Amino acid sequence: MPEIDDVQLIKRVAQGDEGAFLALYDWYVGRVYSLTLRILGESMLAEEATQDTFLKLWSRAHLYLPERGSLLLWLLSIARRTALDRLRLEGRRPTLSDAHDPAEAWQTIPDGNSLSEESHWRSLNFAVQALSPEYRQVIELAYFQGLSQSEIAEVLGWPLGTVKTRLRAAMERLRHEWGRM
Amino acid sequence: MTYFEHLPFLENIPAYALGALDARDAVALEAHLQTCAACREELGAYRATSDKLLVSLPPQQPPATLRRQIQRRLPSAQKSARPRVNWSLSRLALGIAVVLLLALNVFSISQVRRLQDQQAQLMDRIQNGQMALVMLSYPHTQSFPIQAENVTGSLLLDREYNNAVLILRGLPAIPENQTYQVWLIAPNGERTSAGLVRPQTDIPFISQPVSSAQDLANFVGVGMTIEPAGGSDHPTGSVVFRINF
Repeated sequence: MPEIDDVQLIKRVAQGDEGAFLALYDWYVGRVYSLTLRILGESMLAEEATQDTFLKLWSRAHLYLPERGSLLLWLLSIARRTALDRLRLEGRRPTLSDAHDPAEAWQTIPDGNSLSEESHWRSLNFAVQALSPEYRQVIELAYFQGLSQSEIAEVLGWPLGTVKTRLRAAMERLRHEWGRM
Repeated sequence: MTYFEHLPFLENIPAYALGALDARDAVALEAHLQTCAACREELGAYRATSDKLLVSLPPQQPPATLRRQIQRRLPSAQKSARPRVNWSLSRLALGIAVVLLLALNVFSISQVRRLQDQQAQLMDRIQNGQMALVMLSYPHTQSFPIQAENVTGSLLLDREYNNAVLILRGLPAIPENQTYQVWLIAPNGERTSAGLVRPQTDIPFISQPVSSAQDLANFVGVGMTIEPAGGSDHPTGSVVFRINF
């Protein structure tokens, strides 16, 4: 979907256009649900968080500022906060398995020359999967489980310094990889 | 600030961009960011990296029911969910019929009550008339004529059985806020109420028992005044008649 359509649609949503809202839902629900499921780990909770996210989009559409970033990024930021709030509300501890990695789905190196949406997120995801398990784990716990570095050290039983070093190294690696795209 | 002074802040920027920096370190970094353009630029780069983490996940479709659930929360669905009043012609006619029946029922009840009141008044009149006839036939009954400006009649008095009946003719009608009141008069002039009288418009005379809890022998006369509706404790209005017995 071209960006200009996003902006037009969100303006119509801000004016109460339910058709525009449903068009945005159809376009982005897969991305939102995937993120909430990744954070919450249960389909029922993820559906509730997805619903809350889109209802926030409906009620706060007038707050979206295109110059601050894409609508997708704004929507996913709302989804992440909504899901992390729910995670804290549920009082659940993070899972330590690597079950979130659909490794078999990402064995094919994406075509970097493709401009398609799918190619874009597959390229980004490939960089994450290319990280070492330790790096992926700290990124997962920090960003998708909402834990601080001290909490990660406690959960994993690592020294705090090790967590800091691995988190910084993982982010530097991703920054470097994604900077080349 | 030297590079080595910057270093602790620089090292914390990636964790801060992920929202994973511990609170105390985050406060210190935020204070430093206020004055350090280089660190703000570095933070912008790492925020772009964390943003890409958000969009790096492969899409996954939720159940189709989720779309319907969200649609039900939108204003148009909320409006349509409210109960509608669907007045078809037959329902409208039924409604009017029910309202008419209710009105007829209320009217009928009021009519029945009115008839019951009239019946009770008629029964009183018959009983009072019968009482007057019985007293007239009784040999000890005394009759005292009443002759006043607007009314004529008699007081029938039976001292033996302590009964008295007023038979009045031509008693004028009075406003709703007034009533005729009968008084028994003691030898010292004290008046005791002996009942209220409202003349009937459909018949020219009335037959009214004189009520008294005391022995009629204690009284020397009877009179009638016009009083406010409900009566008075003692005579206050104009006198209609007075007789001694």
